[in-house]
Amino acid sequence: MGAMEGFMQGLEVAFSFQGILFVLIGVIAGTLIGMMPGLGPISAIAIMIPITYGMNPSTALMMMAGVYYGAVFGGSTSSILLNAPGISGTVATSFDGYPMAQRGEAGKALAIAAISSFVGGTVSVVLLMLFAPALAQVAVSFGPAQYFALMFLGLTAIASLSDGSTVKALIAATVGFMMATIGIDGQTGTTRFTFGNPNLMEGIDFLVIALGLFALAEICFLIKNRKDDSLSKQGDIGSLKLGKSDFKEMRGPMSRQSFLGFILGVLPGAGATIASFIGYISEKRIAKRPEEFGKGSVKGLSAPETANNAATSGAFVPLLSLGIPGSGTTAVMLGAFLVLGIQPGPLLVQDHPDVFWGIIASMYIGNVFLLILNLPLIPYIAKILKISRPLLISLVAIFSLIGVYAISFSTFDLYVLLAFGVLGYLMRLFSVPAPPFILAFILGGMMEQSLRQTLTASGGNMLALISDPVSIGLYIVSLISFLVPLIRTRNKNDQSESEQKAS
Amino acid sequence: MKKHLLGLSFLLMMGMMLAACSGDSNQASGEGDGEWSPEKPVEIVAPAGAGGGWDTTARSVGKVLEEEGIMEQNIGVVNKEGGGGAVGWSYINSQNNPHNIFVSSPPLIFVPLNGQSDLSHKDFTPLANMIADYGAFAVAEDAKWENLSELFDDMKDDPSSVTVVGTSSPGSMDHMQFVSIAKKAGVDIKKIRYVSAQDGGGMTQILNGSADVYSTGIAETVEQVKAGKVRVLGITAEERIEGDVLSTFPTAKEQGIDATFVNWRGFFGPGDMTEGQVAYYEEKLKEVSDSDAFAEIRKNYGWNEMYMNSEEYAKFLDEQKEELSGLMEELGLVSN
Repeated sequence: MGAMEGFMQGLEVAFSFQGILFVLIGVIAGTLIGMMPGLGPISAIAIMIPITYGMNPSTALMMMAGVYYGAVFGGSTSSILLNAPGISGTVATSFDGYPMAQRGEAGKALAIAAISSFVGGTVSVVLLMLFAPALAQVAVSFGPAQYFALMFLGLTAIASLSDGSTVKALIAATVGFMMATIGIDGQTGTTRFTFGNPNLMEGIDFLVIALGLFALAEICFLIKNRKDDSLSKQGDIGSLKLGKSDFKEMRGPMSRQSFLGFILGVLPGAGATIASFIGYISEKRIAKRPEEFGKGSVKGLSAPETANNAATSGAFVPLLSLGIPGSGTTAVMLGAFLVLGIQPGPLLVQDHPDVFWGIIASMYIGNVFLLILNLPLIPYIAKILKISRPLLISLVAIFSLIGVYAISFSTFDLYVLLAFGVLGYLMRLFSVPAPPFILAFILGGMMEQSLRQTLTASGGNMLALISDPVSIGLYIVSLISFLVPLIRTRNKNDQSESEQKAS
Repeated sequence: MKKHLLGLSFLLMMGMMLAACSGDSNQASGEGDGEWSPEKPVEIVAPAGAGGGWDTTARSVGKVLEEEGIMEQNIGVVNKEGGGGAVGWSYINSQNNPHNIFVSSPPLIFVPLNGQSDLSHKDFTPLANMIADYGAFAVAEDAKWENLSELFDDMKDDPSSVTVVGTSSPGSMDHMQFVSIAKKAGVDIKKIRYVSAQDGGGMTQILNGSADVYSTGIAETVEQVKAGKVRVLGITAEERIEGDVLSTFPTAKEQGIDATFVNWRGFFGPGDMTEGQVAYYEEKLKEVSDSDAFAEIRKNYGWNEMYMNSEEYAKFLDEQKEELSGLMEELGLVSN
């Protein structure tokens, strides 16, 4: 069956009354879950599995897919308004979204996030539809050596994630790396830095760190600065309307990150979180005014939001066309498929075209729903900021705790959260940037494991790391990414020097 | 400075409040040997995150118990993730309540052996085993080996010429199932090259040639075999598994390697349970195992029926421990 014919069949499934209804339920549930700090799509989908028993498989899966991308869509809201990331894919969103909301432009920030998410989501669904079977090859083309090179590229951005001192950024990144080594080591099975505590054996969850370093540290600061005048603007939501200049700013990141995010999503293991970070830093690299990033830049908000939604659709490529789950969430999705008696894999398109194309077609509808639902709601959602400060602070604290508890149902994680809150607060006091810490933590674990996988398989031969064109290409890009800012600053210095001389 | 401390003191207060909330709620288990039935909702603990094998077993059994009206009380499934199960086990141990039971599988043997948990299967009461799953060793479709003998012949010459990939870390499922078969075939298991890859990395690595053999569950290989991308050299079951593609997978046994490896999955309760309590769960779980609803679930997940009652199960576990601790000792994975 041709792709077009299949897609038409998918549209039929998706546009049935049931289809529309359940996609709608899925995206609404997903948005709400995503908005809650800490609560993510994994637990939502796992809990839904028993409910979908006996449902029509394609409808059930369309709903669960809706929960997934709805959560990524909604996750930006709490990142922007409260600096408390809803899910791990939206941590990078807070870098510029939160400052923008602080400036009194919460409405605009939410609108940018919604539109970028919509564009990222929709463009990537088109890519998914056109290339899913072909991209299956890309998904398996990355071995450990290539992953190592990719993570290496991500790391070159550490310096660019700090506004001030590079040394402080490197310190933060080093500590982030160290945190990534906590737990049972995948390659030997030994426990590292757990001090005999079984709670630490699986390592520390990314969201615990993100909520501690961002949300808790932030509320400490709000308490500390509660009498400052600078906060008076905060209740302002500002206009929702985006000007022409805003769209012009967004155009670049949206068009580039839709593709880049999608490709990173296709790679198993990379996913929305890494895509959002790489989206953020690559836009900062090529921006004309990188100094605006981190201070409420439109580009800096649009890039990770486009990338994480694009990556979410990308993650369906290995899941649907290979049966390989690339992340925790897609692993649970795979479980949901199995319960419904459908095995995703290379034969899914032939055996269950209604499911395969139904899910893809439903993602168009889902993304439109999300945009329609979210845009008019922005003024109401943003009203959160109007809640009186003491109440808001308590709410953020409570939701952070609930969110972390929901990850593993362990009170131990709550203490870890508080510890990272203290760390985050101290880091802010001494102006050590948190983003490099987070980035090193995400990339560090995968980077170490892929390095050691490569070396184990090659019997310790280092050349295995640079034995193929993909890795070499990635190292070259890393080098460029590392050198460009240096050259730029030199040019700038030269310019300012010559200007000084001239005057 | 005072201002700076204000923020911190807020976190400190949160910490104190947390500590106040986490009081222990230990309950003594029931007395007497008479008949027993739960007085409040039963909690099934999956000592892992949502979506894994333990979680799906817990949720599907819980669902059958409730929907078929087998158990009068409500059932709740709780995830206690961490330490490869150790966190969930210590939770059950500290609750010591017959209303809290949990799902487990071979890691209950491995994890205590490699020193990651102080609690072992001896600290819990086996209630019933429910299902069995078997391991499969898959290679890419263009690999040079046609069967296990060819693979192991190569590995006997040079064990490190082959890279084996699995999802779990060394000393757990995917590693040990391969090692136990390879050992019987005469391979020097200390020199086997094993890498662990999460997030679907195992299948990816044999498809792109980064690794040679993928040690995994049977169900994980079916779709790729159907699509002609990978080949299953052997499975760890006693006999061939029934089913469409499944029946084409040769066992290690029929290839002359006298070894099997079962990924069993069953239910356990806390250490001290009365005979009445054990009998209650035994009976209910037997009913689940025999139900059509559970047969359907087994079919969907590709699980096999393997019911054992408490007594058989306890004996089986002791044998498992015996066998695996020998292997793990040889690999240097046993910690004292």
